[in-house]
Amino acid sequence: MIDTFLLVGLPYLALVACIVGTIQRFRREPYNVSALSSQFLEHRTLKWGSVPWHAGIIVILLAHIFVFLFPGVWRAITANAIALVAIETVGIALAFLCIAGMLVLIVRRLVSPKVQAVTTNVDLVVQALLLVQIVLGLSVALSYRWGAAWAPGTVVPYLWSIVTLQPDATFVAEMPGLVKAHIAGAWVIIGLIPYSRLIHMFTAPLHYVMRAPQVVVWGNLARLGKVAGDKLVASRRLFITGTVATASGVGLLGVGVLDKFVRYFQGPKLTEEQRADLLEERLVRVKATAEQRELELERLRSAYIAVGPLAQLDAKKGRYFIDYEMRPALAFKGDDGMPILISAKCTHLGCTVASEVNDQGQILCPCHVSYFDIKTGAPNPGPPQRRRSRTSTGY
Amino acid sequence: MNAVSKLSALAGFVADRFPVEKMNVASMIGKKVVPLHRMSWAYYLGGLTLFFFLIQIGTGLMLLFYYEPTVSDAHASVEYITNHVSGGALIRNLHAWSSSAMILCVLAHLITTFAMKAFEKPREVIWLSGVLMLFLTFGFGFTGYLLPWNQIAVNATKIGLQSIEEVGAYLPGSLATLPATIKETIQGEATVGQATLSRFYAIHVVVLPLLTLGLLGMHVFGIQLHGMSRGTEAVKVRFEKFFPDFVIKDLTAWGVAFLVIFVVAICLPFESFFSYTLAEPYNPLGSTPEGIKPEWYFFFVYYPLELLPFWVIILASNAAALVLLAAPWIFRGTSRKTLRALAVAGAAYLIIVTIFGQQIYDAIKGVQ
Repeated sequence: MIDTFLLVGLPYLALVACIVGTIQRFRREPYNVSALSSQFLEHRTLKWGSVPWHAGIIVILLAHIFVFLFPGVWRAITANAIALVAIETVGIALAFLCIAGMLVLIVRRLVSPKVQAVTTNVDLVVQALLLVQIVLGLSVALSYRWGAAWAPGTVVPYLWSIVTLQPDATFVAEMPGLVKAHIAGAWVIIGLIPYSRLIHMFTAPLHYVMRAPQVVVWGNLARLGKVAGDKLVASRRLFITGTVATASGVGLLGVGVLDKFVRYFQGPKLTEEQRADLLEERLVRVKATAEQRELELERLRSAYIAVGPLAQLDAKKGRYFIDYEMRPALAFKGDDGMPILISAKCTHLGCTVASEVNDQGQILCPCHVSYFDIKTGAPNPGPPQRRRSRTSTGY
Repeated sequence: MNAVSKLSALAGFVADRFPVEKMNVASMIGKKVVPLHRMSWAYYLGGLTLFFFLIQIGTGLMLLFYYEPTVSDAHASVEYITNHVSGGALIRNLHAWSSSAMILCVLAHLITTFAMKAFEKPREVIWLSGVLMLFLTFGFGFTGYLLPWNQIAVNATKIGLQSIEEVGAYLPGSLATLPATIKETIQGEATVGQATLSRFYAIHVVVLPLLTLGLLGMHVFGIQLHGMSRGTEAVKVRFEKFFPDFVIKDLTAWGVAFLVIFVVAICLPFESFFSYTLAEPYNPLGSTPEGIKPEWYFFFVYYPLELLPFWVIILASNAAALVLLAAPWIFRGTSRKTLRALAVAGAAYLIIVTIFGQQIYDAIKGVQ
């Protein structure tokens, strides 16, 4: 019962609260749709809280949204062990970054008198919720490994079922409590968006990235002079630091690249057995090519094609062979016991059709899902417009 | 107009496009400035394309040392590079991923330069060389795709080449067989085989790079000669110096791009996005496996090809190519605002068909 509420009732409550609240806030208090900045009151600690928090949470959130929108692509990526480990590692590192940043932000709100003056209770609730949510996410990642790989098949269908108004909590109902808590936490936070500073997500000044750069300076002339002097000293220091950093970076990169480069051209150090395996595999392929060439020669020299013994032909499963134009063809056994020979080249874009005959006596071209009747060569309505030629039946 | 005045008009055209008095380091680098406005970010796209092209040359050269362009050995040699050569998988993935990145940048570069009206006099030649390089880039993609000689490569190439032959159905009389002849000429034999592989290899490794380098020289030379296009209709525009300000930012962008492509190449094999059976060596005896699709950068023509009559595609693609080539003259009087709307429409089409093509196809065809 509590599960049904947390996984189905709560999401809809949260979504309605979020949508209605956001619209209302944009209409009633359009100038208030942002987070009240306290940078002016206190900026030293803020830097160590806000920057790591946002750097971490933006990437994590975007990754969550990406998985939700493109689970197939994500599954293909995480099917690679290296990619999966890389993603999980980055995710966990970012979670720690978020936690550190959020702790700084919480402490700052609790101890700085100036910031406290503008702090509302909702601010504190939001901070606590976010911290709990991140810790929950991190615990899920650590205790139920490879969430990046299992989420697309479980949580994503659940989320889509919610969004498409066909709620189906079975996808996640049997999940451990931690996972459910993380999901429920997310819904609570979504519901809180319009009633807290979280609304600033929707008004992030993305256009700043595109607009021409602006330099904001203090209008005080004395201060301007000081800034210029500071800048000169700073630029000298920057130049030296930059040069040293670039030189060491390029040096390290050079050593690494050179090492890889030399090894690449040296070629692999293989054991005898590996070399034997490789050679064997290559021989198999060379032999397959030789067989192809022999077929080609046979087509050029002889006036007939040996497809196979009539007894081995089947009415339901075609036998591939190569016709006079060196194109694939299929041989079936007809109802009258005579063979049916048909080109296996789809008349649409030249794919090779499959060999299994379905109940309607048709074979399938897998490229664009078209069927051909094996007796007449007639296509079903679809991309192929022409009939398939019956290969001359010289058997 | 008599011959002499025609000739002098031509000389004047060339002189305007290649002003000799500007051909010096001071003018082409020292005095060059880059406008600062809302679309300034687009000035990095051309440089990024160049960067990915350089990666292609470097990694491509390295792959050449191991790759063997024969039907029996091509797939085995690619496997050898991937599984045994030290750093081979990285080089191959870099080559494959960076090709996609390059095409992405080329398309973005095309759309943004169109929106900024960068083809305005005297930059017509730069634009033309750019459009020609776009075609060459698609040629690179199409020919390079065949070289690993796996199921998806050969079957996708077959389908691509077959579509040339299909044009014949719309041509009258004896012309009808011409496309088939062209197809077999490209293919080198009746079906995609050793001759095709040799030809595609030669085209991919020698012909296209040489053509691209020639056009690229002209393209970059033209840009340095005439400077970045103004890109905006605002009267007051601020500028930054090309050297060193813009160059440093450009190199920074290259560094970030390299980091991204390098991480992706280490983590993700290029075949990650299609099923394992498609990466198997090509099997000439057997049905075309399921899931044969061209690379994502051909989706914009592939899905319409699947859904619409073929003649619509022929007309539309030829018209699009012509409009692109003639853009400097067609859109001479068009305002940047209109161009921007056109560019947004074009970009929206490309993005929607590329990302949601399969869904649209399924929805229209009623496939469950």
